[in-house]
Amino acid sequence: MLFRQSGIFHTSYADARALFPLPADRWMIGLLLAFAFTAPLTMSSLVLSTHLLPWLVWTAAVLGLNLILGWAGQFHFGYAAIMGIGAYTAVHGARNGIPWEIAVVLGGVMAAVIGIVFAFAALRVKGLYLALSTLALQFVMDWVISHVPAISGGSQATLQAPAMRLLGQTVTSETGLYYVALGWCLLVTVFMLNLRRSALGRALVAVREKDFAAAVIGVHSLYYKLVAFATSSFIGGISGAILIFTFYRAATPEQFAVNVSIELLAMVIVGGLGSIIGSYFGAAFILLMPGLMNNLIGWLAQLAGTSLGVETLAHIPHAVYGALIIVFLLVEPMGLGKMYTNLRNYLLVWPFGYARK
Amino acid sequence: MHATDNLTSTPTLISNPAASPVPVLSLNNVEVIYDHVSLAIKGVSIDVPQGGMVALLGANGAGKSTTLKSISGLLRPERGLVTRGEVRFMGQNIDALAPQERVILGIVHVLEGRRVFEHMTPDENLIAASAVRGSRQDMLRNKDMVYTYFPRLHQRRTAQSGYLSGGEQQMLAIGRALMTQPKLLMLDEPSLGLAPFLVAEIFDIVRRINKEEGLSVLLVEQNAIAALDVVSHGYLIENGRVVMHDNAEAMKKNPDIQEFYLGGAEGHNFHDIKHYRRRKRWLT
Amino acid sequence: MDFSLFAELAINGALSGLMYSLVALGIVLIYKSSSVPNLAQGAMTMLGAYVVLAIANGIGLPMWTAIPLAMGTMFFVGMGIERGALRRLAGRPIIMILMMTLGLDIFIRATTMAIWGSSSRPISIGISDSPLFMGPLLLNRSYVVGALVAAALFAFFFFFFRTRRGIVLRAISDDYIASWSIGISVERGVAFSWAMSSVLATTAGVLWGSVQGVNQGLALLLLKGLTVAVLGGLDSIGGAILAGLLLGLLEGVASGYLDPLIGGGSRDLVVAATLILTILIRPHGLFGRHDIERI
Repeated sequence: MLFRQSGIFHTSYADARALFPLPADRWMIGLLLAFAFTAPLTMSSLVLSTHLLPWLVWTAAVLGLNLILGWAGQFHFGYAAIMGIGAYTAVHGARNGIPWEIAVVLGGVMAAVIGIVFAFAALRVKGLYLALSTLALQFVMDWVISHVPAISGGSQATLQAPAMRLLGQTVTSETGLYYVALGWCLLVTVFMLNLRRSALGRALVAVREKDFAAAVIGVHSLYYKLVAFATSSFIGGISGAILIFTFYRAATPEQFAVNVSIELLAMVIVGGLGSIIGSYFGAAFILLMPGLMNNLIGWLAQLAGTSLGVETLAHIPHAVYGALIIVFLLVEPMGLGKMYTNLRNYLLVWPFGYARK
Repeated sequence: MHATDNLTSTPTLISNPAASPVPVLSLNNVEVIYDHVSLAIKGVSIDVPQGGMVALLGANGAGKSTTLKSISGLLRPERGLVTRGEVRFMGQNIDALAPQERVILGIVHVLEGRRVFEHMTPDENLIAASAVRGSRQDMLRNKDMVYTYFPRLHQRRTAQSGYLSGGEQQMLAIGRALMTQPKLLMLDEPSLGLAPFLVAEIFDIVRRINKEEGLSVLLVEQNAIAALDVVSHGYLIENGRVVMHDNAEAMKKNPDIQEFYLGGAEGHNFHDIKHYRRRKRWLT
Repeated sequence: MDFSLFAELAINGALSGLMYSLVALGIVLIYKSSSVPNLAQGAMTMLGAYVVLAIANGIGLPMWTAIPLAMGTMFFVGMGIERGALRRLAGRPIIMILMMTLGLDIFIRATTMAIWGSSSRPISIGISDSPLFMGPLLLNRSYVVGALVAAALFAFFFFFFRTRRGIVLRAISDDYIASWSIGISVERGVAFSWAMSSVLATTAGVLWGSVQGVNQGLALLLLKGLTVAVLGGLDSIGGAILAGLLLGLLEGVASGYLDPLIGGGSRDLVVAATLILTILIRPHGLFGRHDIERI
């Protein structure tokens, strides 16, 4: 953290272009990975399965949404629907005897196909209109999923997910599920980190900034928008599938309804548009904060001697979560990721802050 | 030519020239920076006498529009700031005033490129500008005045403003500014994109307004020839600095101005055309 | 084909469509003046209705006093929201503005529910439940009253935008900088638009509340209001009224015939489908301006 750049002089392009060019960063990543891998040993089972696991899967989903929203600059207000498609496809596949890994990938592919449908709206309009059309598509998906019994088993029904079989082994222990989630999250993170230095990433940024100018220099904006939607939807679909298999164990339509889309967007905004570390922070914040605030307010009410009705308490998480969005947008629109970067930059030369203009 | 400051904050009446007249506008060493990094104008000092017509000449990007915006207060939407110097209107420092307040004081800025309200008719454009002050009677009276000066506008008063021709839009923009009952009219490149005869017609009308209504005019122009024909005094801005100021006649005769802004002196013969451009004499 | 059934569905649909237009009008007003699509309009509608109830039942004032008082309160709430939340985000990318309005929507809805509970409350504005008869057709009396109120408000705005004040608001929505240059206070105009939208939302809340009760369903009017606004053109007031009629008609007739076939819920589907089709075929709506960014 402190002075981590001092004494580092790269002598080859390969060194300079490495994913983590500074040794200090490499150490930190190493420590984090070590902690992540040994978590089942160090953390209690409760924390592991109710906090760490969903956090990792949601982070993967947020990274996928960041790809389309932050990197490609295309609005997507229907990401939960995409996740739902992946989830339902995977569950149906597994229930019908398809090997689990194939079922999950199939879920991703199906989500990508439907995602391309969303993309066609993006090819026509931008900005607000794209946001509205993806929102409308989300509603349509909601409706289709809950009204077509073949997909959801009826509007009130729950579709039980069979046990996960990875490479032939049934995985049911919490540790096993945790490692699956961790593996997927790491995979997506590495993909996103490399995006920055790949041609695809550059093309996406070009399309985001000014698509017609990108077209002029030979970046086929139509193609790259489709690619962005397809990739992002693939990630979302698999994340949805993994979420069901490792966390919820059963699929219901409410899990992928419009408010979940909004929750994902909140995670992206709070974490920071386009920021990879921000995706982690945003997911954690949105997942934890409402619960914490609920407890806090309940405790405060107890102190004050009043008791809040069940009704009131039920709505406080939502109120907090709306307030979080508002406060973040007012205070730091680029989210937690930017705050973190500011801190790191500050510590880069502290206490010689005047040296860095 | 920097006026002695009048330390009272009440505006002096135009009709009292016997007292040492306060210039209607006085910029003292104004410096403007955009985005906290780009220096646009540096050390610009300009005076506009009451009832006078002054031109601000210069090439593209010299800083003329920025100067006008520092006077009218429209720097903020473009993230610009007056970082040094002051702007005084009728002797009163106006740096802290918002754009609306400056219009109420009597400064109006006709924007570059006209910027009429395209989806409204000319009549509605004029009414929109009257909201700043005055009763309904004032508005009707001012509208009549504007239509008298710009009869062509009267003919087109119910068309959609976005469909007016360039010249008509310029007339509308000037007329709209007149509706605010200003003491200082600032025109930003009125000749932009207009045919020469239209330019002459508009400048003629502006000169008449200046004479008949006693309205002070600050004219920013790239078209130095047309501008120097109507104004009494001119300032030349280059790269954000005033490099020359003099009365219009002297400027027209100045060989450097002729060479670099007026298309060459009279009596240029073919033999002279092929020579290297000499350095401007005001660069030291 | 049963013509009288069709006519009944069509007319009742059109009437309720006019009531959707009220919500759309609020959205259009804000979009016209500040280019912000206010996704919190549904929440404002709900909040307005609850405030009316709070004043009427809580303080015990009669409805005809409570409603104007509530409108006055919401006037300042709208202004406060613009000042506090939206002004700071002026000029930022639209995703942030959209998220801000979404955040406001979530926050207002949740807080309202937390304070007043989620059970549905009746609001009575003196309209009897008996239907009106127009020949052989049965018309919902509440819808007729609602439609009349909506039409009256539209007429009001039609004339308002020809007055000096209204012209100034139209100028603001045309060009901020040109408005500043001639002394118009853009800030005051935008704040006023937001305040007016909140008052309109309150009216819509009261009208719809008398039809379906005051509950969180009122906030779902957002989707219908938004569809009407987009269909008519996000910056066209006249468009909002026509689009409302059209959507109401479509929704009423289509759901009347489709519901038995697919087991209910087709209203929302019709609305969503209309939104998607409008955006794909003609994004700027029936009467909106053409300067929408497209490819």
